[in-house]
Amino acid sequence: MTTSKQMTLKLKVWRQKNAKDQGRFVDYTVEGVNQAASFLEMLDVLNEQLIRKGEEPVAFDHDCREGICGSCAMMINGCAHGDMPRTTACQLHLRHFNDGDTIVIEPWRARAFPIIKDLVVDRSAFDRIISAGGYVSTNVGNAPEANSIPVPQQDAEAAMDAAACIGCGACVAQCKNASAMLFVSAKVSQMAHLPQGQPERARRARNMVAQMDKEKFGACSNTGACEAACPKGIKLTNIALLNRELARAQVKS
Amino acid sequence: MAMASWKAYLGSSIGKKKLVGLTGLALSLFTLTHMAGNLLMFVSADAYNLYSHTLVSNPAIYLAEAGLVAFFLIHVILTVQLTMDNRAARPAGYQHAAHGVKKTSFAAKTAILSGSLLLAFVVLHLQTFKFGTVYTTTVDGVEMRDIYTLVVEKFREPGYVAWYLLSLVLLGMHLSHGFKASFQSLGLFASNHPTLAKLGWAFAIIVAGGFITQPLAVYFFGLGG
Amino acid sequence: MSTHPRLDSKIPSGDVEKKWSNRKFENKLVNPANRRKHTVIIVGAGLAGGSASASLGEAGYRVKLFVYHDSPRRAHSIAAQGGINAAKNYQNDGDSIYRLFYDTIKGGDFRAREANVYRLAEVSVNIIDQCAAQGVPFAREYSGYLSNRSFGGSQLQRTFYARGQTGQQLLLGAYGSLMRQVEEKNVELFAFHEMLDVIVVDGKARGIVVRNLRTGEITTHTADVVILGTGGYGNVFYLSTNAKKSNCTAAWRAYKKGAFFGNPCFTQIHPTCVPVSGDYQSKLTLMSESLRNDGRVWVPKAKGDKRSPKDIPESERDYYLERIYPAFGNLVPRDVASRAAKAMCDKGQGVGETGLAVYLDFGDAVKRIGKDGVAKKYGNLFEMYEKITGDDPYEVPMRIYPAVHYTMGGLWVDYNLQSTIPGLFVIGEANFSDHGANRLGASALMQGLADGYFVVPYSIANYLGGEKLPPVSTDHDACKAALADVKGRVQKFLSIKGKQTADSFHRRLGKIMWDECGMARNRAGLTKAIADIQKLREEFWSDLFVPGTGEELNQELEKAGRVADFLELGELMCRDALEREESCGGHFREEYQTPEGEALRNDEKFTHVAAWEYQGDGKTPARHQEELKFDYIHLAQRSYK
Repeated sequence: MTTSKQMTLKLKVWRQKNAKDQGRFVDYTVEGVNQAASFLEMLDVLNEQLIRKGEEPVAFDHDCREGICGSCAMMINGCAHGDMPRTTACQLHLRHFNDGDTIVIEPWRARAFPIIKDLVVDRSAFDRIISAGGYVSTNVGNAPEANSIPVPQQDAEAAMDAAACIGCGACVAQCKNASAMLFVSAKVSQMAHLPQGQPERARRARNMVAQMDKEKFGACSNTGACEAACPKGIKLTNIALLNRELARAQVKS
Repeated sequence: MAMASWKAYLGSSIGKKKLVGLTGLALSLFTLTHMAGNLLMFVSADAYNLYSHTLVSNPAIYLAEAGLVAFFLIHVILTVQLTMDNRAARPAGYQHAAHGVKKTSFAAKTAILSGSLLLAFVVLHLQTFKFGTVYTTTVDGVEMRDIYTLVVEKFREPGYVAWYLLSLVLLGMHLSHGFKASFQSLGLFASNHPTLAKLGWAFAIIVAGGFITQPLAVYFFGLGG
Repeated sequence: MSTHPRLDSKIPSGDVEKKWSNRKFENKLVNPANRRKHTVIIVGAGLAGGSASASLGEAGYRVKLFVYHDSPRRAHSIAAQGGINAAKNYQNDGDSIYRLFYDTIKGGDFRAREANVYRLAEVSVNIIDQCAAQGVPFAREYSGYLSNRSFGGSQLQRTFYARGQTGQQLLLGAYGSLMRQVEEKNVELFAFHEMLDVIVVDGKARGIVVRNLRTGEITTHTADVVILGTGGYGNVFYLSTNAKKSNCTAAWRAYKKGAFFGNPCFTQIHPTCVPVSGDYQSKLTLMSESLRNDGRVWVPKAKGDKRSPKDIPESERDYYLERIYPAFGNLVPRDVASRAAKAMCDKGQGVGETGLAVYLDFGDAVKRIGKDGVAKKYGNLFEMYEKITGDDPYEVPMRIYPAVHYTMGGLWVDYNLQSTIPGLFVIGEANFSDHGANRLGASALMQGLADGYFVVPYSIANYLGGEKLPPVSTDHDACKAALADVKGRVQKFLSIKGKQTADSFHRRLGKIMWDECGMARNRAGLTKAIADIQKLREEFWSDLFVPGTGEELNQELEKAGRVADFLELGELMCRDALEREESCGGHFREEYQTPEGEALRNDEKFTHVAAWEYQGDGKTPARHQEELKFDYIHLAQRSYK
């Protein structure tokens, strides 16, 4: 049974006015937040306090607050979305912290994700990678009757496992190399598992990887930090698959 | 055209990692055979010297050595390049280190460091043994280099043994990450595949452990008289 | 209260089965070479806006797409869980286009336009084909063919799904198609841009004013046609299952430029959501309605009973749904379940810290089918619940409460999805839509994609093919005026320098709306709400505080603009609810109910769409009517017995 316990938290939050600003950590104390509140609601409380004092609130990205839109993005004590597995920052609740804890909150850090303000970063590199080939090139009106192309159930399930990616960027943030391999591989893998994805299979892998490199993400060191950080449980097997897909694309060409 | 596409393929971050993985695996296999050969020290000095002599007197050795050097260079140059790219991909680091399940393993995080130290070790190792003092011995009427005596001599120096042990622990760590990681880079298995991860540890322990037995036997148990 | 010449629904002639074919044939076309010459502005990239951008890009128009998120992939359609309906009849259980049409009209309590709903059912089958071709990983049978499940309001299995993430997968399908058009330079993407006004030139929509949320720069963009796919306005209640940024600003700005607003009071309240746990609460999360199949709803008989549910013996529990509705028990329809929960809490029998929750107890289910049996059916939902509340629903009953989920009302559109401003088209939840007074589950995704992929491309061609549209530059007086207006408004927010935050006003508005214009409404309450909102609005404009400047990312400034519009829309919703003297679907007026407490429609007086016309600030808006004719499905009292 939830009990309403009030807690006090000490925060060290990265504040950066804009892309050009140097940025720095600022210490805050948030008092009297309910333990049942979510992490982002705790930041709401902080912001309300700051505004009342005439200070600027901490900018952070968020929207659905139920773990599916992929907007929220912050390192909480060095862990993307906090240290709970398979959880986004908006699903993280204060009951997992102790009264009096000090929490360090930092933005995603990667050259490919420049900081816009405070904890808000620009993740448009992900959009450009998808533009490069993360789709089936079918025009509206082209589609055949849906049941004319059966998809074996295990393939549909494997595709769905990979398709669950929410594009939040936690994989990049947690990776010591700021590599986007898990993100890219999830989309490549989804399509590689489906008959609809076959005609563009080689082209897709090649173009998406080329764009990934162009965006200056790091390379994959196979450490598995991305999988651990992924709030949707996207598996490392996708990266192995992407490595295979690129080889396959090369051999086929 | 074909040439250009191969260049693009091998020049991509994934292509480079494949080369690193492939050369890494080849070097891993070399360490395994090298370690197995070293175990002949426990059979006898003659067996050890004979094995060594057979290897170096085979003309194919030059080809094999050239191959090893090439693999080694590719492995080193590409990892240095990738490390520089990777560091550039995160110009500013985090204030707070990760913890719990989201933490990167020490071996993985320090692979470039263990690799760099191993590079230094290999250079010194070649200097000490391959290009070191030449003792000779005669086995079955054939005069050959007595590498056994040199090894025993070195393994009696406490400083050398310490350095050797440290390097082998580093090798073990490097292999514990590198072995399984290569399979992921090559697209065969995820590096955290449970069997592969165990196999990686087993391989690292066998290779590093195998190498470590001789200095221990010499220094502490008086192997080689 | 009158019909209005601009309220021409433009329903095609012919039998309902032929209407859409007839319209497609009558429509004018734009030849492929000429499409490049037309710029189409689309605002919003959810299922409706995203699919429209993709299909219009593919057709060859020059599309400019504006989204306030950092990426089009984040639109709130992504959060839809359950599924998407289509009349495929893959399960051989008697489905047909006509039956989906029938179910939707009836589910909407006879307050939707027959012709539109028929078309929706008709194109539903194409949506599934299109999405499967895009690589949407729908659930499959072992045969490899598509799987279906059943959903509320229907007796057959016509819902297609991708686990509990159907909205996400459909949205990512549309997003992929649209990003392909970005790559091919048919769509120009403006992320981080919020639309703040429509530009009307010679009576036609010719552009929009946007604010770059990153830099604060305010600019005008002109086009031949403007399409809004900007979603619903459930956040007028502050707490809802909508995403935090979901807002009414685009629709409201269009309303103030002459687009009529249809049925603003039609709101859907979903009975099973995780309840509010404190003042800090920022949003509500939906729990699938299917839980009521095995869960029993109850509250303590005694008021203010704060004992742990385990300590309350059977004799002191009130299984009120089973008591009041013995025939349906826990499976009464959504609106009934929602209203009953509210009534119990209002009486003081609510549970939890706030007293605004009821128990949904799986104790009997666990006894009957075991913990494993329950886990098999609802495991993922139980996990989600535990993540939010920290309670284990296998051990402790869930606490649930109704929450605002969807708005059936929206900008009025004709059959072609054109608003009362020529050249301004409205799609998806943003229009007043095909759902009448109540939307059936799994129909929102269907409508969004129907509008974007299969309807609006034809309407756009027809409009562009039939209009003379002289070029309009951003130097045009109308552009300059709109730009100055928006800039003035932004400056106004920043210059009030009062004491209260936008959120604090939003919370207060939400409370008024929830109390007086929520699950149950009455004349006195609505009248009071209108006065209260007017007062709150005055306070807002004199005591708002927005920190920072307009020339940067300023999330408080964004909120202020949205809350300002909600403060006006809220009043219109109350007016609409006040004028509609009947109960229908999600609109329940306490004065109009059957002796059993069911909604009582007044078909004689209210078989129409109420379309509200803006008359100027401070003036009462005009209410017009579009009469609804039911030629195919006969008006009848909805019965659940």
